[in-house]
Amino acid sequence: MTNFDITRRGVVGGFAAVPLLAQGAAAQGTPRRGGTLKVSHSTSILTLNVLQNSGPAEYLALDMIYAGLTRLNRDMAPRPDLAVEWSGENAARTFTFKLRPNVKFHDGSTLTSQDVVATIEAILDPKTGSPARAVLNMIDKVVAVDPLTVRFELKSSFADLPVSLAHANARILPAALVKGPLQALNTRAIGTGPFKQETYDSARFMRLVRNPDFYVPGKPHLDAVELYLFPDLAAEAANFLSGAVDVMLDVQQADFKRIAAAPGVQGQRVPSGRFVNIVMRQDSKPFDDARVRQALAMAVDRGMLVDLVLDGLGRPAADNCISPGYRYLVDTPAPKYDPAAARRLLAEAGYPQGIKIPLICSNRPAIRSQVGVAVKQMAQPAGFDIDVQTIPHDTYLANVWRKGNFYIGYWGMQPTEDAAFTLLFTTDAAFADTAWNNKEFDDLVARGRATLDDAERRRLYTQAQQMMVRDRPSIIPFFQDILTANRTYVKGWTAHPLSRTFFTEDVWLERG
Amino acid sequence: MRELARHPTGLVGATLLAIVLVAVLFGPLIAPYDPQQFHPAERLRGPSAEHWLGTDQFGRDILSRILHGARATIMFGLGATFAGVAAGTLIGVAAGVAGRWIDSAIMRLLDGLLAVPDLLFTLLIVTVLGGGTGHAMLAVAVAFTPGMARIARAAVLSVRTREFVQAAQARGESPVYVIGAEVLPNTMGPVIVEATIRVSFAIMLGATLGFLGLGAQPPSTEWGLMIAEARQFMFRNPWCVAAPGVAIAVAALGFNLFGDALRDILDPRGRQR
Amino acid sequence: MNAGYLARRLAAVVLVLLVVSMAVFAITMILPGNAAVMILGEYATEDQLKALAAELGLERPWHVQYLEWLGRLATGDWGMSMRMSQPVTLLIGDAFWRSAALAGAALVTVTVVAVPLGVLAGMRRGRGADLGIGLFAYMGTAIPEFVTATLLLVFLAAPGRQFFPAGGFVPPGEDAARFLYHIVLPALTLSLILTAHIVRQVRSEMSEVLASDYIRAAHLKGLSEATVIRRHALRNAMAPAVAVISLDVGYLLGGIIVVEEVFAWPGLGRLMIHALQNRDLPVIQAVTLVLAGVYALSNLVSDIVIAALDPRVRYA
Repeated sequence: MTNFDITRRGVVGGFAAVPLLAQGAAAQGTPRRGGTLKVSHSTSILTLNVLQNSGPAEYLALDMIYAGLTRLNRDMAPRPDLAVEWSGENAARTFTFKLRPNVKFHDGSTLTSQDVVATIEAILDPKTGSPARAVLNMIDKVVAVDPLTVRFELKSSFADLPVSLAHANARILPAALVKGPLQALNTRAIGTGPFKQETYDSARFMRLVRNPDFYVPGKPHLDAVELYLFPDLAAEAANFLSGAVDVMLDVQQADFKRIAAAPGVQGQRVPSGRFVNIVMRQDSKPFDDARVRQALAMAVDRGMLVDLVLDGLGRPAADNCISPGYRYLVDTPAPKYDPAAARRLLAEAGYPQGIKIPLICSNRPAIRSQVGVAVKQMAQPAGFDIDVQTIPHDTYLANVWRKGNFYIGYWGMQPTEDAAFTLLFTTDAAFADTAWNNKEFDDLVARGRATLDDAERRRLYTQAQQMMVRDRPSIIPFFQDILTANRTYVKGWTAHPLSRTFFTEDVWLERG
Repeated sequence: MRELARHPTGLVGATLLAIVLVAVLFGPLIAPYDPQQFHPAERLRGPSAEHWLGTDQFGRDILSRILHGARATIMFGLGATFAGVAAGTLIGVAAGVAGRWIDSAIMRLLDGLLAVPDLLFTLLIVTVLGGGTGHAMLAVAVAFTPGMARIARAAVLSVRTREFVQAAQARGESPVYVIGAEVLPNTMGPVIVEATIRVSFAIMLGATLGFLGLGAQPPSTEWGLMIAEARQFMFRNPWCVAAPGVAIAVAALGFNLFGDALRDILDPRGRQR
Repeated sequence: MNAGYLARRLAAVVLVLLVVSMAVFAITMILPGNAAVMILGEYATEDQLKALAAELGLERPWHVQYLEWLGRLATGDWGMSMRMSQPVTLLIGDAFWRSAALAGAALVTVTVVAVPLGVLAGMRRGRGADLGIGLFAYMGTAIPEFVTATLLLVFLAAPGRQFFPAGGFVPPGEDAARFLYHIVLPALTLSLILTAHIVRQVRSEMSEVLASDYIRAAHLKGLSEATVIRRHALRNAMAPAVAVISLDVGYLLGGIIVVEEVFAWPGLGRLMIHALQNRDLPVIQAVTLVLAGVYALSNLVSDIVIAALDPRVRYA
C-alpha cells in the first residue's frame, strides 16, 4: 500500500508522460529576446473574463495574461505557478498553499492571499457561472492564513486539489476587481501573467505586450503577441501559408498534412483525449436494451472513422472515456466492426427487421455531422436505418442536449480520470445525459476520488472503466489529436493535450 | 415557341434548362453510384474512368451527388419562388383592386420590407426558425413576397383602366369575375417573367444558405451544401468545389436567360426601334 | 425638386425604418433557442440561465420590450451586445466605416469598369466585343458570391501564387498601402455581379438610345461620333444605369455579408453573421436597421441624381 506524496513533488492523479509528436522538431538553441509573435485563430475572443470564458482562442489570450496557483505541465502533473509549494493533511481534507512572494499584477498591486481567497470565493459562487466550479465544488472554506499562505478546507477527501486549481478558469484576479462588477472584466484583463493587454478589438484583433515585472526572470522572450481573427478556415490557412502570421492556433484535419508539408512550416500534432461521442439514452426504447447499444458498437468501424473524418489524425477508441496517457488507463479493446453479428444481436433484442431512428447532430463543430453521416453508412448493413438530422447549435442546446435519446456530443480532454468520469458518466455528473445511473459506478468513482492509496485507486478505476465498456452508455469511436502549426523560426511553441496552457513565456523568434 | 427560336440568348437559356430538367427528373436513375456510398480507398481523386467528376472526402462519387442534388437545389428554387409568387400576387392584386386607403397602407408596408436586402431577410428568418431546407424555402418565399407584390400590383393598376375591364364592370359582372377572368390573366405576363428570373435568385440564395450552414443540412446533396463541405478540401481536389459551382451557375443562368427571353417575347409593347 | 419633396421623401424613409424595426423585432422575438442558453453555452446550469434571462428582461411582454427598445434607440442608447459585452454603437461604428470602404471600393470598380464596358457593348451591338461582354455579363449574374470568393482565393491568393492576401484587414491609419492591398479581392468579388447587372443595363440602354431619332438627328447635324456619345447618348443612358446601381446597393448590402465572412473583413456583414450565430439580439436589430436605412437613403439619393440627369423626369 503506497501512500501518495501530496506535497509539491507528488503527482496525485498525474499522468504518464505523453510523448509529443512534433514533426520536424529541431534543437532549440539559445533564446533571443524581442519580436512580435502573430497568431491566427478562427473562433472569436468574445470576452476577457477568465472566470467565465469558454472559447478556444480566449483560453490562449487569457493564458498569457493570467496565472493560477498551479499549472499542468505537458505531462499533466501540477507544477508550481503562483503557489511555490503545497501540502495536504487530514487525509487530503485540508490543503495549505504557500504563495510566491513579490508577484505584481499588471496594475502594479502585489499578489496576496486575499486575492486568492476572493477569486476562489467568486468561482464557488453559482451566480458567477464559472466552469471551474465543477472541479472545485468540494471546497468548503478558503482562508487567508497570512499574506502568503492560503488554507483550503474541503468537504471530503480530494487528493487532486492541486490539479483542479490548475483549471483554465481558476486563474487569480485582484481582489478589488473580483469584488467589483464582473462585467468590467469582460474587456479589461489584469493578471500576473507574462503578457499584458494592450489592444482588444473583439471583432478582429488583440495585442498583448511583455510584462516587464513577470516573476520568472528573463522571460518572456517576446516583446508582444498579436492575435488575428479569421473566421473562414480556408482564408486562415491561405493566410498562414503566405507568411502573414507566424502561428496557426488550430489546424483542421483536412488541411494538416498539406500545411505541415509546406516549406518553412512545422506542423505539430499532440495526441489528446478530445472525443466525439454518440449518446444512447438508456431510460427509453430502444437503448434501454444493452444489446441494442452493443449492436451499434459493433456497427461502427472506428478505424475508418479515424481515416475519413480525422484524416488519420487521431486514434480509435473503445467507448472508454479514458484515453492513452491517463495514468490509470486500463486497456479495453474495441469491438470489431462486424455488421453481421450486429444484425443478429439486434434481431435477438427484438428487432429482426432492423431499427429506424433519428440521430441529431448540432452544426457546431462540423465534425458532429461528419461522424453522423459516416456512422449512418457504416451501420446500415447492420440493420440500423439512421436518419441524420443536423440542426442549429442553439436549437440543439435548447431542445436536444440532455433531453434527446440519440445525438452526438463533443468533449475536450479532462485533466484527471475523476474529472472525466464526473463530467458525463456518474449519476450526478455535471453534464450527465445518458441516464446510466449506475450506483456501482458512482461508488467506484467516489471512493477513487477520496482514497490516497495508489494501488487502491488503480483497482477502483480499472473496475470503473471495465464497467463503462460493459454497459456502454455512449459510443466513443475515437480520440482526436490536437493540431497546430508554426513557422520554423518560431521556437518553443507547442500544443498541449488539454489545449488550455500554452507556455508562451518560453516562445522566441529566431530571426535576423 | 417560334419567337423563342429567333432569340439566341433565350435558346441558350432553354437549352441549359433542358439539361437541368433532365437532371431533376432522371438524375437519381442515371447516376452511376449511390450518392451516399463511401469508397474510402478512392477518396479525393480527380476525374477518372470510374468517377467521371472525381470523389469527395468520403470517397463519394461527385457526379452522382450532383445528379441527385439537382432535385434538392432546383425544387428549392421552384418551390420558394412559387410560394413567394403566389403570396405576392395575392397581396399585390388585393392592393391593386382595393381602395386607395388599403392600397396605400399595403404599399407602405411593402416599401419597408423591401428596404431589407433579400439575403439579410432570409438570414433573419432562418436564424429564428432554425436551419434546414423547409425553413430556408419559407424564408426565401417570404423575402420574395414584397417584390412580387409590387410587380403584381403595378400590372393590375395598368390593366384596371383598360377597356375590357371597364366593359366587364359596365356589364355588371361581379368583382370576383372581373378579377379572375379579366384582370388576372393579363397580369400574368410580367409576373411570370419576374418569377422565372427569380428562380435563379432563389437557387443562388438557397446555395448561399447551404454554404452558411443555414439551409440544407448534411447528408443532403444540395449543391451549395456540397461546396460548403468541400471547401476544406478545395486545394486537394478542386473538383469537389468546381463541379457543384458550375452546376449552380448553369441552373441560375438557364432560368435567367430564359426569363429575359420571356420578357422580350411577352412584352407587347416591345422596344421602339 | 423642392424642399417639400425632399421632406416628404425623408419622412418616407423614417416610416420605412419603423416598419423594418417592427418586422425585425417581431422576427427576433420568437427565438426558439433561448438567448441565455446560447450565450452561456453548454456548461450553464439552470440557475445561471434563469438569472441571465431575468437580467436581460427576456421574460417581459413583447410590446413592453418593443416600445422600451424603440425609445432607447431614439435617444442613442443602442444597448450592449449580449455576447461581446461592448456597446452596440461602438461595434457598429467601427464596422460601418470598414464596410463602407469595401462597398465604396466595389462601387468605384463597378462604375469605372461596367459603364465603359456597357457603352462599348452598346456601340458594337451584335459584334464580337458585344457578344464577349454579354457572355461575361450573363455569367456574372449566375454565380453566387461565395463561389466567386472561393474561386478568387484559389486562383489569386493560394500559397505559391500569392498575388493578393487571403483575407484580413489592416486599418488605413496604420498602413494605407496594405489596407488597399487587402481590399482588392473582396471588392472584386462584390463587383462581379454588380458589373454584370450594370453592363447589361447600360448596354441595352445605349444601343436603344443610339438607334433613336434624337441621335440620328445629331449625326445629321454633322457632330462627330465622340461628341454624339459624350453629349447626348451617355446622358440618356445614365439615368437607368443609376437606377440599376441604386437597386444593386440592396444586392451589395446582402453581398457584403458573405464576402466579409470569407475574407475576414471586420465590417457590418461579419458582425451580422456573428450576431446571428450567437442570437445577439441587440446587434442583429441594430445592424438590420442600419443596412435598411442605408438602402432607403441610397434610393433617395439615386432618385435625386436621376432627376438631375434626366430632365424629363420630375416628381410631383
